[in-house]
Amino acid sequence: MIMLPSIYRGIWRAVHTLRKSRGTPPCRFLSTCDGLPVGLADAETIFALSSGHGRCGVAVVRASGPASATALRCMAGLSRSLPPPRTALLRSITDSQSKEVLDRGLVFWFPAPHSFTGEDSVEFHIHGGPAVITAVLQALGSVPGMRPAEAGEFTRRAFQAGKLDLTEVEGLGDLIHAETEAQRRQALRQMSGELGHLYQDWTHKLKRCLAHVEAFIDFSEDELIEDGVLNQVDRWVCDLQAEMEQHLKDERRGERLRSGVQVVIAGATNAGKSSLLNTLCQRPAAIVSPIAGTTRDIVETALDIGGFPVLLSDTAGLRESQDLVEREGVRRARERVEQADLTLVVVDCAHLPSDAQQAAAFLQEHLRSVLPTQEQPETVFAADRFLLLLNKTDLLPEEQRQKLDRELRRVSGFPPVCLISCHTNEGLQDFLTVLHSSVKTLCGDPLSGAPTLTQARHRAHLQQCFAALAQYQRYRDIDLALAAEGVRLALTSLGRITGRVGAEEILDIIFKDFCIGK
Amino acid sequence: MLTKKLPPLNSFLSLVSRRASHVTRQQYDVIVVGGGHAGTEAAAAAARVGAKTLLVSQKIQTIGALSCNPSLGGVGKGQLVREVDALDGLCGRAGDWAGIHFSILNRSKGPAVWGPRAQLDRQRYREFIQSELLSTPRLTVLEGSVEELLVSETNPEQPGHHRVTGILLANGSHPVSASSVILTTGTFLSGSLFIGQSTSPGGRIGDAPSSSGLSHTLKERLGLRVGRLRTGTPPRILRDSVDFSLAVVQPPDGHPTPFSFLNTRTHCKPEEQLPCHLTYTTPGVERVVKDSLHLNCHIQEDAKGPRYCPSIESRVLRFPGRRHQVWLEPEGLTSDLLYPQGLSMTMPPDVQLSLIRQIPALHRAKIHTHGYGVQYDFVCPTQLSPALQVKNTQGLFLAGQINGTTGYEEAAAQGLWAGVNAARCALSMPTVSLSRTESYIGVLIDDLVSRGVTEPYRMFTSRAEFRTALRPDNADMRLTLKGFEEVGCVSTLRYQEAVRVRDSLQDAQATLQALSLSSNSWKKQLPDIQISEVKNTVMTGMEVLQYNNVSFEMLASAFPESLSRHMEFSQRLKIEAVYRPHCNLQKKEIERIQKEENLLLPHDMDYLSLPVSMSQEVREILDRVRPSTLGAATRLQGITPAAIVHLLNYVRSAELRERRKHRKQQKEEREEELCAAKASLP
Repeated sequence: MIMLPSIYRGIWRAVHTLRKSRGTPPCRFLSTCDGLPVGLADAETIFALSSGHGRCGVAVVRASGPASATALRCMAGLSRSLPPPRTALLRSITDSQSKEVLDRGLVFWFPAPHSFTGEDSVEFHIHGGPAVITAVLQALGSVPGMRPAEAGEFTRRAFQAGKLDLTEVEGLGDLIHAETEAQRRQALRQMSGELGHLYQDWTHKLKRCLAHVEAFIDFSEDELIEDGVLNQVDRWVCDLQAEMEQHLKDERRGERLRSGVQVVIAGATNAGKSSLLNTLCQRPAAIVSPIAGTTRDIVETALDIGGFPVLLSDTAGLRESQDLVEREGVRRARERVEQADLTLVVVDCAHLPSDAQQAAAFLQEHLRSVLPTQEQPETVFAADRFLLLLNKTDLLPEEQRQKLDRELRRVSGFPPVCLISCHTNEGLQDFLTVLHSSVKTLCGDPLSGAPTLTQARHRAHLQQCFAALAQYQRYRDIDLALAAEGVRLALTSLGRITGRVGAEEILDIIFKDFCIGK
Repeated sequence: MLTKKLPPLNSFLSLVSRRASHVTRQQYDVIVVGGGHAGTEAAAAAARVGAKTLLVSQKIQTIGALSCNPSLGGVGKGQLVREVDALDGLCGRAGDWAGIHFSILNRSKGPAVWGPRAQLDRQRYREFIQSELLSTPRLTVLEGSVEELLVSETNPEQPGHHRVTGILLANGSHPVSASSVILTTGTFLSGSLFIGQSTSPGGRIGDAPSSSGLSHTLKERLGLRVGRLRTGTPPRILRDSVDFSLAVVQPPDGHPTPFSFLNTRTHCKPEEQLPCHLTYTTPGVERVVKDSLHLNCHIQEDAKGPRYCPSIESRVLRFPGRRHQVWLEPEGLTSDLLYPQGLSMTMPPDVQLSLIRQIPALHRAKIHTHGYGVQYDFVCPTQLSPALQVKNTQGLFLAGQINGTTGYEEAAAQGLWAGVNAARCALSMPTVSLSRTESYIGVLIDDLVSRGVTEPYRMFTSRAEFRTALRPDNADMRLTLKGFEEVGCVSTLRYQEAVRVRDSLQDAQATLQALSLSSNSWKKQLPDIQISEVKNTVMTGMEVLQYNNVSFEMLASAFPESLSRHMEFSQRLKIEAVYRPHCNLQKKEIERIQKEENLLLPHDMDYLSLPVSMSQEVREILDRVRPSTLGAATRLQGITPAAIVHLLNYVRSAELRERRKHRKQQKEEREEELCAAKASLP
């Protein structure tokens, strides 16, 4: 067995337990009361990662505002009393909703006014992995009354509370300038291309929605404003909601980072799937035997692949079987493949036809039999959701192996192929590199810039926006002023990502779209 | 209180002229120039605050005249009328007295955007306003033309800064001196009238143009920046000549809703109200406009006209091929004239006649007075403080169209607020301002002074970001109490009424809140209502009242002993219940804004040489606009967050220095006293 590079070592602890929360709707960030969007009511308490972004030994997550004591109580398991002020305390840090342990670290309690911001504040000193940080940030977001901090907001609060010395403040303007402007630009750059265009497009549509509702409110009594105006807005809002829902659901990179990338090992019996699992997690987690059909149920293990959490599942070999237990195992295996973010299809080299061209055709056929039926045929290989592993290369003569390798590279429309041997660990290093890059693509790259923060913030704003549009629909026929308020809130939430929108802009659209006289 | 008898107009006039003989020798606290909506509210408000006030108008008969449309209120504007009334202004009560067709616009769109509106009898409105002014203590009215505004030489310590000393009347007698002067000259500042190809100086047809001295002083001596705007009015049509069978009748509300919080009914009986009529333009109208463009000077000028109250010419040109609404509005109970809303025009008289005859209902209409256009100067309102005082001239206040607004209600609101502050200034009290989080008046003034205008400014509900809290129903709770306790422009009588209303509302809400039952019990009490809560959830009366189809009346009949005494406020309680959760949500945001609003920026700040790091561009913007609060500064275009922090920092540290200095001074004084005391010891 080879020694894996140190970066791959260590098991990402919380993955198993966090998985449960995968099924929850993407609203964990929202603490809603009566379905009304947050951001106005209990927006007082803010939180953010205060230490540098990227991999580091210790990360500091800070919260400030009236709800920080509550956050500390429920996340550090301090139901009775708060710790003594400004004293380090080692605690397990848990998610207050799922009760999962996220990490073990130091917590600090800074009651007002003796804190950086002059408000009640808490600090969590946790391990610096992006997964842990994201998990803790997500958990904070689910505490009622908490929201992610705006750029420079801690400093601003500190300043407003008179906590900063005037000499310190001299540089603050430039700092905030840099923060707000640069971060907004950076955020937009991160969303560059499709995503940025999408948000701009939504903003534009929302502006039109609001302008049309406002035109109807302010002018329809005096003016010829067609009755169809509101129906048009209804359609726009509906479409936008659908788009946003899809977007929030689809764009699961943040969520993957939190709950782990689902990687499933699948293939025919005796291809060496369980061996692969054991090799990757460096322990005999699954029973390995030469008997076909040894693995019947799903064997799961959590891995850290280059800093990304991976949940690896070994499944029963796919074959027709009379055995009831094995049939259930195969059903589960197929189900798991359907849910997987990434499937490793393992094939025994020995079963390949010796002619390289025939081998390609064989593999194509084999992939079809493994993959979920509804995804066939054209999306099969286009998606970057599959890796093809040709195992037991130690059993092939060197010459044949090279020929195979060449031939498969020539064939287009194939997923990435790795030739490995779990027995000799040959090719494993290359495979890990490929796996790492696949997982990285699936999670986004948290090591560049500050995506854990910005993504979380964007997501929160998008969810507020989505919830606010529901307010439009709820009040559309009862009270148009409150319905319009919903669109306005939606626009404000989106505006926090893409830039503000003023009343004058809305009026401009009104006068462009309608003939308003008096 | 509609029990008041209006005195006959001639007795009013004689009283005025009797006073006029000695008015000029007097010293006044406040002089108001102009007797339109801004001027009358300003004069009345200044007098209510306690200032000895003089109102100067070119013609006594036109005080309180409705120069253009015979109506008051509407969407956004109705909110302003309610707020002016809540601050004890005139226009709400005048509207109730003179209204002949009441309706609440936007009835189906939610109480926050309801628009109380009325057609008015022109004569009655004028009479009411004139009689109110007459019975206002400390207020004198003078017929006369103002030749010149008197200002002090600039203070050598503050170059460019002046102080108002009074006015000079046209007949050249004595100067009349005052500590504050409010200019409400409407369209008369360098005004010119346009019909067809002819133009003549003036601000309103039939009135003499105002003196050029005033505009010279503002522009040349005070160096105020002015811009030019245009507006217009439609021809008046003889009622008898209109074929109403070709128009659609628009009946008024069956139960007229008064504007004023003091009135429970309107002067006009419900059944005596007059209808309006609706009709439409035809392709013929468009043809006439296009054929006569070369004869139409006004439309070719490049002064900015309003986008939302355009002349028929600009509507047709901007949106060709469409039909446009024309409202035929009565001008009064006994008037034989109609006002065709939507037909403002400036073409030659004969073309005007052929245009209106293109409209079916007006095919044989006769014109009584022709439509015309007006172009006039306005003072860029960013040169004013939120008290509506000119920043570089102590004691000079501006209100109404002179600030670039349009509309009676906008003028009245500014007039009232300028009057309040001019009086407070003259009586050595600090000026006051209203925030945009508490009133439409605050929104209006903040928009004007911090953003300025590029076209005539009109109020819309969409301008108020907190409009769910700024509703017509609660204007008294927002403003009357403050108006009495902090501003001093509200009478004791009105204050006591507002206190009674507040206490009753609070009492009723407490009762509703305490009325806490399981949802099952609620279902038994109100069997017709679908209560969606799960079984045995405890709900308060306030929560149940939020349901769309639950009225306060229903609750009161279910719990008569505790609730029936609050029936007077059934509608207000229902609205309050529905809106409260939303308003609570907004409260935090409002508090944040108020924090910023409360941070005043000294208006003599030298932005160009402020010792902080700030770009030249930002400095120039700040120097030009001179925002009065940090909040206003943040709303300026082109101001960076960094600049805001620097400003905040600078002001805070200036305060700190001031406080330290003060403490040091006190300490020194104490030490001196101590020394003196020691020395006096034997």
